[in-house]
Amino acid sequence: MKLIQLENVRKQFGNFTAVDDISFSIEKGCIYGLLGPNGAGKTTTLRMIMDIIAPDSGKITFSKNRQIKNFLDSIGYLPEERGLYRKMKVRDVVLFIAELKGMRKHEAMTEIEKWLVQMQLNEWGNKRVDQLSKGMAQKIQFITTVLHKPELIILDEPFSGLDPINMSLLKDLMLELRDNGATIIFSTHVMEQVEKLCDNICLINKGSILLEGELRTIKQSFGKSSVEIEYKGSLDPIRNSPSIQDCNDFGQYAEVKLKTPEDYRPFLRELVEKKVDVTRFELMEPTLHDIFVRSVEAHKGTVQDAE
Amino acid sequence: MPNKVLTVIKREYMTRIKSKMFLFSLFLMPLLMCGMVFISAFLTTMQSKTKEMRKLVVIDETGEIFAPMQVAISDHRTFQHKGELVYQLQEEAATTEEDIIALRKRVNKKDLYAYIVIPKGVFENGEVKLYARTTTNFEVQSAFRSVISKIVRDKRFAESGYNQSEVSRLMRSIRFNAFAIKSSKGKSGGTEVENPFETGARIGLGYILVIVLYMFVLIYASSIMRSVLEEKTTRIVEVIVSSIKPHQLLLGKLLGVCSVCITMFAIWVLCGVLLVMNINPLLGIFGIDALPTQLVEAIESLKESSFGVLTYFFIYFIIGFFMYSTIFAVVGAICNSEEEAQQTMGPLTLLIIVPFILMFQLFRIPDSTLSVLLSHIPFFSPILMFMRINVLMPPFWEIALNILLMCATVLLVTFFSGKIYRVGILMYGKRPTLRELWQWSRY
Repeated sequence: MKLIQLENVRKQFGNFTAVDDISFSIEKGCIYGLLGPNGAGKTTTLRMIMDIIAPDSGKITFSKNRQIKNFLDSIGYLPEERGLYRKMKVRDVVLFIAELKGMRKHEAMTEIEKWLVQMQLNEWGNKRVDQLSKGMAQKIQFITTVLHKPELIILDEPFSGLDPINMSLLKDLMLELRDNGATIIFSTHVMEQVEKLCDNICLINKGSILLEGELRTIKQSFGKSSVEIEYKGSLDPIRNSPSIQDCNDFGQYAEVKLKTPEDYRPFLRELVEKKVDVTRFELMEPTLHDIFVRSVEAHKGTVQDAE
Repeated sequence: MPNKVLTVIKREYMTRIKSKMFLFSLFLMPLLMCGMVFISAFLTTMQSKTKEMRKLVVIDETGEIFAPMQVAISDHRTFQHKGELVYQLQEEAATTEEDIIALRKRVNKKDLYAYIVIPKGVFENGEVKLYARTTTNFEVQSAFRSVISKIVRDKRFAESGYNQSEVSRLMRSIRFNAFAIKSSKGKSGGTEVENPFETGARIGLGYILVIVLYMFVLIYASSIMRSVLEEKTTRIVEVIVSSIKPHQLLLGKLLGVCSVCITMFAIWVLCGVLLVMNINPLLGIFGIDALPTQLVEAIESLKESSFGVLTYFFIYFIIGFFMYSTIFAVVGAICNSEEEAQQTMGPLTLLIIVPFILMFQLFRIPDSTLSVLLSHIPFFSPILMFMRINVLMPPFWEIALNILLMCATVLLVTFFSGKIYRVGILMYGKRPTLRELWQWSRY
């Protein structure tokens, strides 16, 4: 079942087109990655989903034909750069946001206690926000995002600035929330995280979609154009091979990027002919990072061609 | 939805009520007000008083004034400290340029407080000159002026053969007082006369209220600005506007802070009423049995008039608060840091400071064309019109027109502010230019 559907959404600020004719839909209960370089239009897209700004044209619809104003309380939002009221006590801040999201006070209070215990912050509930460490404040803000049991959780760069322990804690929480039926939109430009967490992705650049769909399908469609080899001796004989686009040599191990996925056959033949002592030869799936860079660069090309 | 506006109001209200700043102002502002009155009264008496001995040189070219002058100053209060004479006069002759330069040097080295030159022609129309390091010691100047005047006058009379004591009796000043006529529904044909104490009490109250209005608008409007800025810089505003509309957030903030001010006023008014009601038992504690009747009348009339004055105060405060606060909220919304906001705020605070400064001059000419015109400039009205109401009640149609004008301005300001605020809180980076603001208001 589709939770949200965007159809031909456009947003212009003056002469600048922030989002240009975007259409995609998000299935209920998945983690959806919204990717793109800085300034690609991710935040504008998210703001339009939350009705913070209205699209110039196009339509955003929610499941069961709900109006956005009836859906707002079912959204939890963690903005990119984070902060809370510094002078307020932790419990008061969380309660304030929860009440803004339409929760009743006593219900919110029980949830707050539950979450504080789960995050091991129950001793900090009556402290002021500015007495918390950065990591703790980030956890508190995550609590404010999910306390009202939102159907849709929007996380804008949630991992930035987190230490490895909190990072894995957050990752586990995201998976747990998904398993409990929440849908998560995960906006980022850090590809490794997306690769591990997302079921579906949408890659945007300069306001337009470059790629959209299931992550696995996208990867397959890009073909395996990377090769990992382990060898003894030297790689020098094949250094100037016509099949190689880029080679990252570590001495006994190398990651080789081929010009096209089909090039692995001539490349293997060349290795044998030039008598390189290869002990392992493996075709690798492209990383999302590669796909990202290639798509953005290809897009840049088409834009320049068009001009 | 209004439920959520209430949530915002509650937060703004509670965080401020609970803050130390609130308690601080609640107790300190009245103290400060009283303190200011006392200190300024104290300073006027103190300004020319000195404990140190002050030496003056008198160059008396007539040779007749120095001796009686020395006698006269020992009777004058200005020249005494706790009954002791603290001014010492010394006669010297200064004929050459060098003598004068030497005197000036002594003044500069603080060896002399001043020197006075009395010319030969003083009995006709010659000018007496006092030279000192500063000429703001008006009280000392006027004391010398009256002392020397009296001596010169007495000499003139004596020369013309008049009896000294008879002259003093004839020359005595008259007693003079001013009374304000106020229109009322009383028996005396719609006119009633206030005694000067009543006028003083009424205008004093008005004065204090104008200062309170000015301070509160300035303090709480900038408090709103900082709070908008905090929400913007911590990005929490993005979470909030994903739940409620920006204009609802702004409305909630304004109403919340306005309630804080009203709470404080309510406490003060309540305390004031209790104080006036129980004035006699309270005075008893200090061992004062009865106040002068004029003062009692003043308090009585204040009881009557204060309701009207306070009503106008609330009207002008609330309109003024919304007018300035929405503008300051916008400043918070378009800036990215405290420093930037302070800079932007600077010129805008003039909207409050200019009428406040003008007030001190205009209250002497409350019904001049200039006063009337300035008091109808909406941004000046909360202070200038309220001042006029206190000093000399303008015709009712003027007040009605003025309130209408201000309400229209508030609507206009909120309309544009709301639009700019909506865009501003989500925009980071460069502060927008006026042209960009105009564009924002039309998104």
